[in-house]
Amino acid sequence: MMSRLSDDRSRAAIAASIEKRRVDTRGLLFRTLLQACLLLTLALLAVLIISVVTNSTDQLGTRLGDFLSGTLRSQSGDDRLGVHQGIYGSLWIAVIVAVLAFPVGIGAAVYLEEYAPRNRFTEFVEVNIRNLAGVPSVVYGLLGLALLVKGNLFGLDRLTGGSSTLSAGITLAILALPIVVITAGEAVRAVPVELREGAYGVGATKWEMIRTQVLPYAAPGILTGTLLSMARAVGEAAPLILVGAISGRLGSDPGLLDLSALTDQFTALPIVITTWTVQSGRDVGFTAAAASAIVVLLVFVLLMNSAAIGLRNRFEKKRG
Amino acid sequence: MRNSRRRLLWLPAILVSLALVAAACGGDGEDAGEATPGTVNISGSSTVEPISIRVAELFEDVAPGISVTVDGPGTGDGFKLFCEGETDISDASRQIKDQEKETCLANGIDNIIELKVGVDGIAVMTSEDNDAVECLTFDQLFDLIGPNGEGTTSWAEASPGLPDAPLDIFGPGEESGTFDSFIEIVLEDLAEVAGVEATTRTDYIPSGDDNVILQGIQSSDTSLGWVGFAFAINATGAKLLEVDGGNGCVSPTGETIASNEYPISRDLWIYVNADKAAANDAIVAYLDFYVSEALSTAVGDVGYVPLTEAARAETAERWHSRTTIG
Repeated sequence: MMSRLSDDRSRAAIAASIEKRRVDTRGLLFRTLLQACLLLTLALLAVLIISVVTNSTDQLGTRLGDFLSGTLRSQSGDDRLGVHQGIYGSLWIAVIVAVLAFPVGIGAAVYLEEYAPRNRFTEFVEVNIRNLAGVPSVVYGLLGLALLVKGNLFGLDRLTGGSSTLSAGITLAILALPIVVITAGEAVRAVPVELREGAYGVGATKWEMIRTQVLPYAAPGILTGTLLSMARAVGEAAPLILVGAISGRLGSDPGLLDLSALTDQFTALPIVITTWTVQSGRDVGFTAAAASAIVVLLVFVLLMNSAAIGLRNRFEKKRG
Repeated sequence: MRNSRRRLLWLPAILVSLALVAAACGGDGEDAGEATPGTVNISGSSTVEPISIRVAELFEDVAPGISVTVDGPGTGDGFKLFCEGETDISDASRQIKDQEKETCLANGIDNIIELKVGVDGIAVMTSEDNDAVECLTFDQLFDLIGPNGEGTTSWAEASPGLPDAPLDIFGPGEESGTFDSFIEIVLEDLAEVAGVEATTRTDYIPSGDDNVILQGIQSSDTSLGWVGFAFAINATGAKLLEVDGGNGCVSPTGETIASNEYPISRDLWIYVNADKAAANDAIVAYLDFYVSEALSTAVGDVGYVPLTEAARAETAERWHSRTTIG
């Protein structure tokens, strides 16, 4: 029921909007504000990338091959530094996160969305998973230290070899797991109910419905979320420090595909960046090396993301 | 349909292959305590870490096939690993404690070689134009640079008895080994007595670059600062202060630091598992290089005070005769 007064007012407003040219100042202001937000974000990103890239030219511009194949050093001149061991560590951490966190996380998400009954308990579980996604990464580092490096509970250190790429990968897989569950869950929830009902309508079982309708439809969303979580895991330094990444000097330098080195001592790109940044106070040349390592890490993450986009487009095409 | 089924097969295949890899590698993990030929595993003091790294980097040019890994979790943690047989060499910024020795013995590590590799000395400096101060005691240094000095702007205000002149402090930042060393040698005991945290005041001007610290000290007539002795001895425009650690004022020189007469100095050590060295040529080659060439250059390269010739000869002799500690 509308009151007389507001009725008059809206009528007047309508009349005014028809008769007078009116500038929607508040709307414009809002729009400008939003644009400013976007600009600020882009500007910050640009400043970051430009400063890092210009700093890195000393290394990447002059000795790209040597820099990519060289080893972690911290006390010799900046003309002999390299990130090969860092790339090895980060690459395999990414692979282990993908192999461990993705299937388990997606599986858990599909169960929670499709099978689990809606009750207090599943609600409790979901709230916990959301909280886990916000837990500081150092805490996961402590978990990795106790469980995988020291083998406090199940003697897992014998499997992982103590401080190793494998320990680091598993630790970061655990870190990525809640994020994978949440994002995959969102994607599964977004599958239109018509699709499900259509599948049931032609006599599909629940398993067939999930396999032929839900998973293919949700695949692009699942992929995007999971790869974002992997990118986050690859950029983490704090848990790696606790798991025992080597920062000063790492002797071994395995080939990128050498699986047997997964249980050896390791380092990773974020650790290399930290070490060289600390050293840059002593020797300015290390600033360029740290910037170059950042560029390598950025390219690494970018490659991963473009792979995700490629896969997503393929799935989306299939979905039609 | 057929396509999607084939795709789903990937998942278990990847999982199984990873499990196989993990299982295969599990064998390696079990003998982590055994000597691996061609590798040297070093851990321990983060103060000594740069020396061992520098030596390893120089050594790499001589013996490219040997891989040396150096970590720096701290002297105590280093000895823990060393006494569990995890590492071949342990870096230490103090001598091994009896308690740590007993742990080693209990684990069957009873042949330990102790080698002195260098001296960590810290110089306290002021501007060369400052005639008012010649010598500072540990108590005065604690008043000036310790947490209780927070907020004070003149020497007299921080420590009664010192001249009433502006106090501008420059020193290394928290990430620096010299920062830690200064706290451990000068401030720690006094902080415990005073019941405050063993750290510096926060309102000084820190820098990771020794040259910037030196510029700061030169910039003010009544400045105060501290840097590694190896850098300070070559610095111009600054005056190295004498320090009284309880036995009178001692001026920092190469000799007084090497002899530990100058109070802000301490010896740096490495401890070698002699049984592991006997079984692993890589350790022997690394240490031969360490005591012959590296001791005279690497220690100075990373900012510590090299040993005197006599002390170097003694270290070499201890290593070559494999003299173990009792």
